[in-house]
Amino acid sequence: MNKERLLKDMAQAIVEGHREAAEALAKAALAQNLDLHEVIEKGYIPGIQKVGELWERGEYFLPELITSAECMKAAMAVLRPAMERARMEDVSLGKVIIGTIEGDIHDIGKNLVASMLSANGFEVADLGADVKLERFIQAARDMKADFICLSALLTTTMLGQRRFIEMLKESGLRHQFKVLVGGAPVNQKWAEVIGADGYAENALAAVKLAKSLKEKR
Amino acid sequence: MSLTLTILPQDRSIQVRKGTILIDALHDADVNLITYCNKTGLCGKCFVDIMKGTPPPPDPREKEFIARKRLGKKSRLACLHRISGDLTVRIPEESQLSLMPVLKRGLRRTLLPDPAVKKVLFALSRPDLASPLSLSEQVQAYFPGLRHKPSPRILEDLAGFMDDPSGEATAALYEDAEILDLEPGDTAEQNFGIAIDLGTTTLVAELVNLNTGKTLDAATALNAQIPFGADVLSRITAVFQDPKKSGALRTAVLVALNTMIEGMLKKRRIATRHVYEVVVAGNTAMNHLFLGAPVKTLAVSPYHAVFSSLPPLSASEAGLLMNPHGKVFIAPNIKSFVGGDIAAGLVAVDLVHQPGNYLFIDLGTNGEIVLKKGRQFMATSTAAGPAFEGMNISCGMLAVPGAVYKAEFRRGLRVMTIGSAAARGVCGTGLIDLIAIFLDRGLLSPQGHIQNREKEIRAGQNVVLLQRDIREVQLAAAAIKTGIRLLLGLHKLTVGELDGIYVAGAFGNYLNIDNSMRLGLLPRLDKKKILFVGNSSLAGAKALLVSRQERARCERLAQTIKHVSLATDATFQKTFIEALEFRAWT
Repeated sequence: MNKERLLKDMAQAIVEGHREAAEALAKAALAQNLDLHEVIEKGYIPGIQKVGELWERGEYFLPELITSAECMKAAMAVLRPAMERARMEDVSLGKVIIGTIEGDIHDIGKNLVASMLSANGFEVADLGADVKLERFIQAARDMKADFICLSALLTTTMLGQRRFIEMLKESGLRHQFKVLVGGAPVNQKWAEVIGADGYAENALAAVKLAKSLKEKR
Repeated sequence: MSLTLTILPQDRSIQVRKGTILIDALHDADVNLITYCNKTGLCGKCFVDIMKGTPPPPDPREKEFIARKRLGKKSRLACLHRISGDLTVRIPEESQLSLMPVLKRGLRRTLLPDPAVKKVLFALSRPDLASPLSLSEQVQAYFPGLRHKPSPRILEDLAGFMDDPSGEATAALYEDAEILDLEPGDTAEQNFGIAIDLGTTTLVAELVNLNTGKTLDAATALNAQIPFGADVLSRITAVFQDPKKSGALRTAVLVALNTMIEGMLKKRRIATRHVYEVVVAGNTAMNHLFLGAPVKTLAVSPYHAVFSSLPPLSASEAGLLMNPHGKVFIAPNIKSFVGGDIAAGLVAVDLVHQPGNYLFIDLGTNGEIVLKKGRQFMATSTAAGPAFEGMNISCGMLAVPGAVYKAEFRRGLRVMTIGSAAARGVCGTGLIDLIAIFLDRGLLSPQGHIQNREKEIRAGQNVVLLQRDIREVQLAAAAIKTGIRLLLGLHKLTVGELDGIYVAGAFGNYLNIDNSMRLGLLPRLDKKKILFVGNSSLAGAKALLVSRQERARCERLAQTIKHVSLATDATFQKTFIEALEFRAWT
C-alpha cells in the first residue's frame, strides 16, 4: 500500500472509530519503516481533528469522541515502543496535569478532556477525581507541566478553582503554569474573575485553547 | 441614587438603586421570572421588553436568542443588565414562572385512620371544698397514661375560656401520651392536619380531616426559593457563599407554605388552632433548607446529610401556621440526596408489601431510583437534570397551559397542549413523544444527530428542537438508564426479573410508555408492569399523617435502604456513554 493511501486510511480509521484498522495500519507503517512523526502528524492527527470538526457541527457526540480517542490511543500504543527504541522525541505539544477538584467526584467530562488532549498530541497525567489542591501543584512540579486543568462540576467545588490560583500565587508559582478551568457551572466570566488563563466549555474547546496558549509562549 | 422602575402590565412602579440587576429588582417587586440557568444569561428565558428608557447593548448570546426567538429590538434578558436610568419594562407571559396544576390522579391507597392526634371529649367536674382538685389534677386523672404533664400555657388557656369550672372540654392528645391542647366545649370533630410535598420547584399542600382521613382541599404554589437558584445545589451554593442567605431561603419557603395553608383554612373556615399536625416530605436538601440546617456537607463529596430522621418538631420550631403547640413531622431522609420524599413515596405505594422485584423511579431533576429485590432495598440519585421538566431545552417549559405534552403522527404531526392553549413550547412528556416520532421518521439518528440540512426539527411555530436540545435529552435519559442498569447489575437482576416499575413525578401522568421505551428511558417490558403513581411524595406525606403505623414503617424503611453512589462505580462512564444512544433495551 502506498504511503498516501496509508495516511488517508489512518485518518479514516480514527474518524470511524475502527480500532483494529487503526492498529493494523500502525503495524503496516512500522513494517514499511515509515517516518513515525509523519505517520502521526499526517495520518492519525488529521483524523482526530476531523472528529473535532464533526463534534462542532453537532454530528458527533460523546460516544463518538470516546471511540475515536480510544482508537488513537490504540494506534499510539503500537507506535510508541518503536519510537522509544529509535530514541525519537515524543511529539508532545505540551504537558498537562488534569483532575477534578477536591470534594467533587464527577469525572466523565474531565476524562473526555484528558482523552482528547492526549489524542491530539499532548502528554497528559490524569490525577483522577477529588484531588487535593496541593496534589495538583506537586504533580505539576514533578512533571514540569505546561498546563494545569481543573474540572469542577458543582457550584460549590468550583470555588476551589479560585483558591487554587491564590495558592499558586502565594507559593510564587503562578507564572510557571497555565491554569485552565472547566465544568458545568464554570464559564468565561468566572475564569476571568479568578485570574485563570482560560476556560473551555468542552473537550474540543480545551484542545483548541491549549494549542493556542502553547503558541503564545 | 434612586431610580424608578415601572412594570407592565401590572402597572406598578418601584424605586430601585442604580446598578441593581433588573431581574433582582423585579423579584423584589414580586415579579418572578424564570431563572433556570441561575441568572447567567444562558437559558434565554427571562426576556423583558424595554418600553421606556434606553436599552443597554445586548451581548452576543442575547443577540442570538433575539434573532432565533424573533423578539423585538428592545427585548433584553433581565438577568444580564443593571438598571442605569428610569425604566419601564413589559413582562411577557413566557418569561414568568407560573403555577403547575395539582395532580388529581395518582395512586391513592385507602388507610384506616390512625393519626397521631386524637381529640378526646371529657368532662370536668366542679371541685368541692373537701378536695379542691386543680384543673391539671382533673385533667391528669382523666388521662392517666400521660407521659408529659400538660404545659401551664395550655391550662391557662383553658381556664381562661371556661366560665363554668365544670362542663365539657376537649383534649388534643398526641400519641396517647401528650396533651397538645385543651379546648372548652366539644371540639372533637375539629381535628385537622396538613400533608406537604416540599418540592424543589413546586410546593403542594393537602388539608386533611384526621378523624376520617379524608382530604378536604389542596393548594399549589411555586417554591419561593427559586429566585435563589433553580436547583437545590445552586441554593446550597448561595448559602455556602453567604451564610446569611440560609435565613432568607428558609423565610421564602415558609412564607409560601403559610400563605397556602392560610388560604385553605380560610376557604374551609377552619381555625388555625385546630390544625394539630403537619407532615413534610421533601428531598434531603429541601428538608435542610426548610429548617435552616447547615447544608455544607451536602455540597461536597461524600454528600452526606446533617439529619435523616428527626423527632417531631414543635410548630414554632418549624415556623408553620398551625396550632402553636402542634407537631411537625418530617419524612425521614434515606441517604445523601435521596430524601424523605422518596421514603414517603415508597410508603404510598406500599412497596414493602409488594412481593417480588420492583423499581421505583422518580423522574424529576434528581432522578431518584429505588430497587426492591425481594426484601432488600437500594436507592440512588442520578442527577438527571431538568430536561424532563422542560428546562435547558430552547423551547422547553413546565407542564402548564400552552405546553405540548403529547404528540403523535397520524397523517401528519399532531400535538396536544395543556389547557388546549396555543402551543408556546414543549414539556417533558411532549419532548419524549416528539423525539420518538422523529426517530421513527428518520429525521433523527439513534445517535441523536438531526438528519436534515437545517439541523433543527420543527413541530410548530413555537416548537423547534435544536441539536443541542436533543443532546440534553440524551444526557438526561442516559442518566436514568445508567442508574437503572447499574442498580440491576449490582444486584444481579435482569429486567425480565422485574415484577413492575413504579413511575413517580409530575411527569408520570402524561408519560407515553411506548415512546419512553423507544428512547431507552425505561427498559422494555410488559406495559402492564408500568405503574404511574403521580405525586407519590404528597400521597406518602398524607399516609404518614393519617397513620402512625405507616409512619413507623417509613422510619424503619428509611434506615434499611442501602445507598448506592453511581459516580464511584467503575463501570459508570462506560455504561453512561453507551446509554446515550436512543435505543430500546432490556
